[in-house]
Amino acid sequence: MGKQILIVDDSATMRQMVSFTLTSAGFEVVEAGDGQEAVGKLTGGAKPNLVITDLNMPHMDGISLIKAVRAMPPFKFTPVLMLTTESDEGKKKEGQAAGATGWIVKPFNPEQMLKVIAKVLPS
Amino acid sequence: MSVDLSKFQSAFFEESAEHIATMEEGLLQLEQQPGDLDLLNRIFRAAHSIKGNAGMFGFTAVGEFTHKMENILDALRNDRRQADKPLIDLLLEATDGVKGLLEAAQTNAAPDETIVGPLRERLQACVTGEASGARSEARGTGQDNPPAGLSPGASRPSSCPAPSLRRYAIHWAPTPAVFARGIHPSQILRELRDLGALTSTADIEHLPTIEALAADTNPPSFTVTLETAHARQEVEAVFLFVQDDSELTITEVEAKAEVEKNPDRRLSPLPSTSASTSENRPPKPLGEILIEEGVISPDALHQALSQQKRLGEILVEQNAATPQEITQALEKQQRAAPAKKAEASSIRVDTDKIDKLINLVGELVITQSMLSDLGARFAMDKLPVLQERITQLERNTREIQERVMAVRMMPIGNAFSRFPRLVRDLASKNGKQIHLVLSGEETELDKTVIESIGDPLTHLVRNSADHGLEPPADRLAAGKPEQGTITMNAFHEGGNICITVGDDGRGLNRDKILAKAVKNGLIGEHDKLGDDQIWQLIFRPGFSTAEAITDVSGRGVGMDVVKRNIEGLGGKIMIKTAAGQGTTFTLKLPLTLAIIEGLTVRVGPEIYIVPLVSIVESLKPAPGAVKTVVGRGETLNFRGRYVPVVRLYRAFSVQPEYTDPSKGILVILETEGEQVAVMVDELMGQQQVVIKSLERNFRKVDGVAGATILGDGTVGFILDVRGLIELARHGTAVAA
Repeated sequence: MGKQILIVDDSATMRQMVSFTLTSAGFEVVEAGDGQEAVGKLTGGAKPNLVITDLNMPHMDGISLIKAVRAMPPFKFTPVLMLTTESDEGKKKEGQAAGATGWIVKPFNPEQMLKVIAKVLPS
Repeated sequence: MSVDLSKFQSAFFEESAEHIATMEEGLLQLEQQPGDLDLLNRIFRAAHSIKGNAGMFGFTAVGEFTHKMENILDALRNDRRQADKPLIDLLLEATDGVKGLLEAAQTNAAPDETIVGPLRERLQACVTGEASGARSEARGTGQDNPPAGLSPGASRPSSCPAPSLRRYAIHWAPTPAVFARGIHPSQILRELRDLGALTSTADIEHLPTIEALAADTNPPSFTVTLETAHARQEVEAVFLFVQDDSELTITEVEAKAEVEKNPDRRLSPLPSTSASTSENRPPKPLGEILIEEGVISPDALHQALSQQKRLGEILVEQNAATPQEITQALEKQQRAAPAKKAEASSIRVDTDKIDKLINLVGELVITQSMLSDLGARFAMDKLPVLQERITQLERNTREIQERVMAVRMMPIGNAFSRFPRLVRDLASKNGKQIHLVLSGEETELDKTVIESIGDPLTHLVRNSADHGLEPPADRLAAGKPEQGTITMNAFHEGGNICITVGDDGRGLNRDKILAKAVKNGLIGEHDKLGDDQIWQLIFRPGFSTAEAITDVSGRGVGMDVVKRNIEGLGGKIMIKTAAGQGTTFTLKLPLTLAIIEGLTVRVGPEIYIVPLVSIVESLKPAPGAVKTVVGRGETLNFRGRYVPVVRLYRAFSVQPEYTDPSKGILVILETEGEQVAVMVDELMGQQQVVIKSLERNFRKVDGVAGATILGDGTVGFILDVRGLIELARHGTAVAA
């Protein structure tokens, strides 16, 4: 059975690409355009096995979303990967402190992304 | 598995164009409200998205450039810099730079370094200036980092062909924070096991649940031995996400120079699935390897590359080709590029619109099945039911037609968005103060129309800024506020969209226009013209009131081109002006180019469609009103003007009902200021027709713009007004 992944990014192009990659790899994909929308999906019945989120987004940014996800009992231990553009240590630390499981540094290619997903997705 | 993401490129360019518009708009607003954090965040996000996405497609030039902008924007966000005018100017120019780089990337062309180069340096200077003493800015350009921070070893081609086995003693003591982030030790241990033979004291398959681990204040630690052919970095990479929250030691116990031996053959307490590292990647370029090995610096590489000659230059040097041949070939290459760009045109449609459409199609299918059911066992008494169903079908069809058109509809705001920037630039160049007021941005119209009105609108706005609005001193003298206002508005009116461009400037000067028109021979000295006719003179080719050609307008593109463009879209342009109060141009355009409002006319048995926008008047001429003038053929004296007459039955060789103009009807048509009277037998009625291209399906026919299918299933031709005028001229030439 395909696992569900929630992808959160305000860039439609990015969502499309990630979504395409994940679907091709057999995952079921749920999309959200920002943190707020993602929280809406999570409270609205989505049960992702993994959340991938961008950091810079309108309405609710990635760090706030990670904190929100960790505060929801059903998703307390759901792996959350953040997409960052910089190799900025500060952002990674901030993300980890908020509860992010790991990160994917942009630009990445589909294979790299799938590799990281395999790394954090509970079997 | 290989996933090809190149098909998302067009989406990327489209989205980037939106981000650029956001940046531009935001920067202009920022000038008014410096320090507005929301605004800064919005601009930053736009730049950031372009940077991130560009990297995904390998457009490093775009990524690096935007990264520099981003640094400056970040400094603005953190109050390390002030958004003063020079900085905003620089950022606006940089936005243009990004636009140029994106266009270059889209067409696979080399970016214009004469523009981008200096900009890049100015940005860099700005960045370095602000980073003095602050954190190092050299990193994070998206290029000098490994592509992804994960398993760095895995992305490297294995440089040693014969793997030697190493043995590592690993001690890992995670803190509870690791579990709180959703990482279960079994994942780490399994990943290690995938690298080679793992000896572990723990039973990997039966570890406590993550909930239990996270609740445990004294969680277990793990000591394992790994025998692997993989490099140390790859082992370290396993712990990438946990190393900050863990105690971790990896020590190499002993190195065995084992050659070509299957690690699976060794005794291992747990089954091992050795991961394959043979990745089918192309080898790295030489330069990259040399940099990695520390032999040369990136700068040195860059310099060496810049000395590399282009193919064309080498060929010329070797006398293998002449410079002309190379230039020709390059031109050919460039010509091919834009063609590719045109193909990739796409449109983004609200899912809402599509959902509605699908609903409607569903209804259509139901209606259709009801109709075929009715047809299968029809009796005359069921006629009312049939009529009812047909009405329903009609409604479905009309709604679907509207919805399908709506798919191509875009808010005009997309076309308006370039104007704040333009007006700002024009104001500073002209030394005027101009306030731009936009309204009706949400008004929707056809994408093709939006794309085609950009240039005419730009011309009108330039015209207003350049000629319409007075310099501040003159305005004050006239008792007006120093700051001039240009307003742009869009609204629907019937089946049309109206776009207005107005200013509160000096208004059109009647005497000046008349004098100029007489001087240029457009009118005779004693011609008497009404105001409206005078204003229309500025649309005549060869007319320009600007006394001196300025930098901003009057570059040989006149109002005549604006008018021609608008009429080419089936639209009209009107002027309202009052001396000292300003001028307003109103463009009236059809919502779409695929469907026109037409008047059906009959000539003998044939039906023709006349575009409604071109019709001035229809009349029944008095006997003898149509006269033959020597050298001009048949003409009609229509309100003091001699209008050429085209007898449609002659032009298209059909048998008419009437050959005497006073028995038939003359329809006066106008385009681009020229009129023609077309003689027909009868006016039938008004209806919307869908244009079908005749050229694509048959060939070009003079005087016919296209064809359509009429209500009774026959084909009707749509008249081409421009063509008929040409026909009238041609016809007289033959007759004379």
